[in-house]
Amino acid sequence: MRTRMRIQRRWLGAALLGVALLVAFPSGVWPQNLTVSLSNQQLYSQPGFTSPPVAPVPQGAQVSLISREGDWVQVDYQGKRGWLHKAAVAGGGPPVSGLPALLSGGPVRQTTHDEVALAGKGFTPEVEAGFRQKNPGLNYAQVDEVERLQVDPARLQAFLQEGGLN
Amino acid sequence: MRRLAHFLILMVGLPLVAGFNIPSLPLPTPPLPSQAQKAAEVVTKTGTKAVQAARPLSEAEEYYLGRAVAARLLARYPLYRNPEATLYVNQVGLAVARKSSRPNPFRGYHFAVLDTLEPNAFACPGGLILVTRGLIRMCGSEDELAAVLAHEVAHVAHKDGLNSISQARWSEVLTTAGTEAARQYGGGVAGAVLNLFKGAVEDVFRTLVVTGYSRQAEEAADREAVSMLSRTGYQPGALAAVLGKMSGGGGGIFRTHPPTGERLARVRALTRESPPGPKEKVRTERFQRVKF
Repeated sequence: MRTRMRIQRRWLGAALLGVALLVAFPSGVWPQNLTVSLSNQQLYSQPGFTSPPVAPVPQGAQVSLISREGDWVQVDYQGKRGWLHKAAVAGGGPPVSGLPALLSGGPVRQTTHDEVALAGKGFTPEVEAGFRQKNPGLNYAQVDEVERLQVDPARLQAFLQEGGLN
Repeated sequence: MRRLAHFLILMVGLPLVAGFNIPSLPLPTPPLPSQAQKAAEVVTKTGTKAVQAARPLSEAEEYYLGRAVAARLLARYPLYRNPEATLYVNQVGLAVARKSSRPNPFRGYHFAVLDTLEPNAFACPGGLILVTRGLIRMCGSEDELAAVLAHEVAHVAHKDGLNSISQARWSEVLTTAGTEAARQYGGGVAGAVLNLFKGAVEDVFRTLVVTGYSRQAEEAADREAVSMLSRTGYQPGALAAVLGKMSGGGGGIFRTHPPTGERLARVRALTRESPPGPKEKVRTERFQRVKF
């Protein structure tokens, strides 16, 4: 009789532990670290580029995933909580494998799941890769060069001040 | 054991009673093979529902589209390789862009100078703005350069480039995806998306280089440019001044941004004559020091 009660209590403990874990991680997703893969990124207070930036996040920074909403991920970076566009973090969205090859490859006999996933994502780096491959005359190298230039905020401030600008 | 049970009950119960709002993380739910197969069949039969007709582009999509348009423009016009001039134009551009209705696009604003004497400026979707040496040479001061850049920033902020994408292009994907025609492009839905991208780039490029924006889009961009100039501390009358210089007609920007008398009068009406500020001379001098 005592043995049976002991077993029941063990089961009760295990069940309660399970419920506790479900409450802590309702999605079943454990805390996950993401790496910021693009430069010049900001944490935004809301999931949208028009919301006020909270803090800059350097390229390569590790952030903890809190939640997802559409194209946005809510993250924690050094105690600051905010939103990043999923394209700015490695692993921000579910990986879709082999898409550039799919885009540039020969005829596809039937619509594959990867294609459906790609269509749902719209214009992505994978689409750009396919476009570049098919249009080698385009000057993406200079586009990258233009984007690399970052004006130092302190220098911009000095420029504004010198010119009597707000 | 009983203590453990109480502890666990507390662990579970307290957050519920206290009303803790633990963020809900949506579970990535991979479809079962049969569901995925059904989804693929639906897409194959009806075109794709995933690529929606005439849907607004996300900021990231707009960015990739803008890069492609810029890559096409840079294949046509070389970059002016003068680091001092490039930095200066970026500083003036960022000064006004901060005061725009869209100060923080995905990856920010970037400005570059094209090495041609044809006077022109191009606002690629997403925030890449290209201005020619020819147009900068027409500007007599930093304030006038700021007016040109503010006008182009306004086109980005208003997404005028994206509005030039043909509505029919989205329907085209709906009708061709999953058909034999789509397969000929080189791959089902993926081929159709790539084809849509190519078409969208062409639509935007055509608007930027050949046809120009609608009169309404130009008016709205002028209005916001004057507001940006004023909020930054530049002379708001600088836009009318530079438009006045462009009224001679010709190719390039004269065709795509026609400075008609009516437009000039409207811009002048937006601004009041104001005496030059104490730092305007400083700005003009630093403009003249840069070689364009």
